[in-house]
Amino acid sequence: MSVFLARRLVALFLTLLGASLAVFLILEVLPGDPATVMLGIGAQEDSLAALRAQLGLDRPAWQRYLVWIWGWFQGDLGNSYAYDEPVIKIILERLRVSLPLALMAITLSTAIGLPLGVLAAARRNSLTDVSVMGFVQVGVAIPNFWFAILMILFFSVFLKVMPAGGFAGWDAGVWPAIKSLILPAVALALPQAAILARVTRSSVLEVMREDYVRTARAKGLTFAAALWRHAVRNALIPVVTIMGLQFSFLLAGTIIIENVFYLPGLGRLIFQAIAQRDVIVVKDVVVLLAGAVVLVNFIVDMSYALLDPRLRGGGHGQ
Amino acid sequence: MALLEVEDLNVTIPTPRGTAHILSDVSFALERGECLGFAGESGCGKSITAMAVMGLLPTTAQATGRIRLDGRDLLAMDEAGLCAIRGRRVAMVFQEPMTALNPVKTIGFQVAEGPRLHLKLSKAEAGRRAVAMLRRVGLPPDRFSPDLYPYQLSGGQRQRVMIAAALACEPDILIADEPTTALDVTIQAQILDLISDVVQETGMALVMITHDLGVIAETAERMMVMYAGRIVESGPTAEVFRHMAHPYTRGLFAAIPGGPEEESRRLATIPGQVPEPIALPPGCAFAGRCARTEDDCRAAVPPAEPVGPGHRVRCLHPHVGAT
Repeated sequence: MSVFLARRLVALFLTLLGASLAVFLILEVLPGDPATVMLGIGAQEDSLAALRAQLGLDRPAWQRYLVWIWGWFQGDLGNSYAYDEPVIKIILERLRVSLPLALMAITLSTAIGLPLGVLAAARRNSLTDVSVMGFVQVGVAIPNFWFAILMILFFSVFLKVMPAGGFAGWDAGVWPAIKSLILPAVALALPQAAILARVTRSSVLEVMREDYVRTARAKGLTFAAALWRHAVRNALIPVVTIMGLQFSFLLAGTIIIENVFYLPGLGRLIFQAIAQRDVIVVKDVVVLLAGAVVLVNFIVDMSYALLDPRLRGGGHGQ
Repeated sequence: MALLEVEDLNVTIPTPRGTAHILSDVSFALERGECLGFAGESGCGKSITAMAVMGLLPTTAQATGRIRLDGRDLLAMDEAGLCAIRGRRVAMVFQEPMTALNPVKTIGFQVAEGPRLHLKLSKAEAGRRAVAMLRRVGLPPDRFSPDLYPYQLSGGQRQRVMIAAALACEPDILIADEPTTALDVTIQAQILDLISDVVQETGMALVMITHDLGVIAETAERMMVMYAGRIVESGPTAEVFRHMAHPYTRGLFAAIPGGPEEESRRLATIPGQVPEPIALPPGCAFAGRCARTEDDCRAAVPPAEPVGPGHRVRCLHPHVGAT
């Protein structure tokens, strides 16, 4: 176990190193000068030079890389050029929107996708199965920003029960904050739920052909009991894998939905930072997300061991 | 009244290319405590017969006839009634111990599952019963904790777990479907001995399904030979072995290494192929592969005629005399 953990820590470190190098090099090659963006095109050459010196942009690339990485070890992610605030503070602020949103979306997609997938597998080729697969097709095919706009039209403009956008903030109370995340979470969850339902269905169908499900039936278990007790848990490994990928995606891949709903989340932060050449923010967020993906993968791997004793290792019998 | 009576069991499965006749006119009876063997090559309908008795035919299959357990027709019974019988009155051991146990549940759980369901035992009581059953099949708890998972056991040990699970509710009938086929030769004898022992000890009836006539000879008092979904020869095992009447039975016997020398040279393999279940010939299904075929064989399915004490054969030109 400790060897396993040590290997994971090394992998985490190497991933972060690789991600930091990659994002640094890409932003190095990218044209655009933060100083020009900040001071405007008509700025004087000497004030530009002064600003570059202040930001440390006049130093060679390798020095700037090392200074940046050194900051990470000291818990200092640098200051945003655009906001003139510590990047760590901005990120934490954005996470207060992005993290609950991602959690709500993944909960919703699991709550919809998993039971639908099991149901479709249990009633294979029935009307239920065909309907679920129809939902899957539509859910995957519909672009979620378009679905989001439809929902705004219906729930916000027509019924007037949901905010059309913006984030109330946690200071306004838990319910208003949650309420402003509901429609975005639904829009994010729909395609994810569809994918999850499809993966669950095929995984359960595969497991239901296994001999041990027949054994369970031969013991006198009903179809439903054999499915629930013997098939579903064995079918969950590919499902958990997909859920891990989806959660990683939801943390930062929500740029479009955050823009549709005007939410101050991580996705919008990256988008704005790139537009404003706020390179320090881009670099920090990318490395942070790489770390989050590694962490999620780690949790997924740990849950494999929970689901399947064969992956726990351990001693053999006589 | 026999414990289990199967009468005119026919099983068909509709396919896009036509109706597949999986079982045709299968009739047999099983007395309390009797050991009955089913022999035949793969696909002959042995396992389907077992699944029909368990009420676990594929959903597309259509079964007609009667399968009576203590006089109650299982084919007419609803699913809840069948669930109460499966595992409780009729239990089954399968061919592949490597895949027949759930890899993510402990062996103790899997043995205790039947008693918890059928005998309404508490978790603790069922657990104790599981330990006792595991001990009975040669897996004492000091070396084989009930908390072990199947992957921690060998094939033979897993088959012992399967047997323990099947015996846990003291069923009246144990169906063993090729229980030793997937095991090492040295383990096969141990598992067969174990099955014979527990059957004698508990007085339950045994249905032994196998392609191996040696297994039949060791375990079964009476035997049925199946071919293309039909019982082609049946009778007391000793009688059938002495006077094998059906050419197919002789072919099956000769295919065993160490069979009668003259025949094993000539019939070590049976030429030709089993007809497909969607295209069974109107006459004897074995006619196309049989050296004794005459025109009348192809006209109609031969009736099951007596050829000795309790010995019947579906053949118009059976072998006569000692094997």
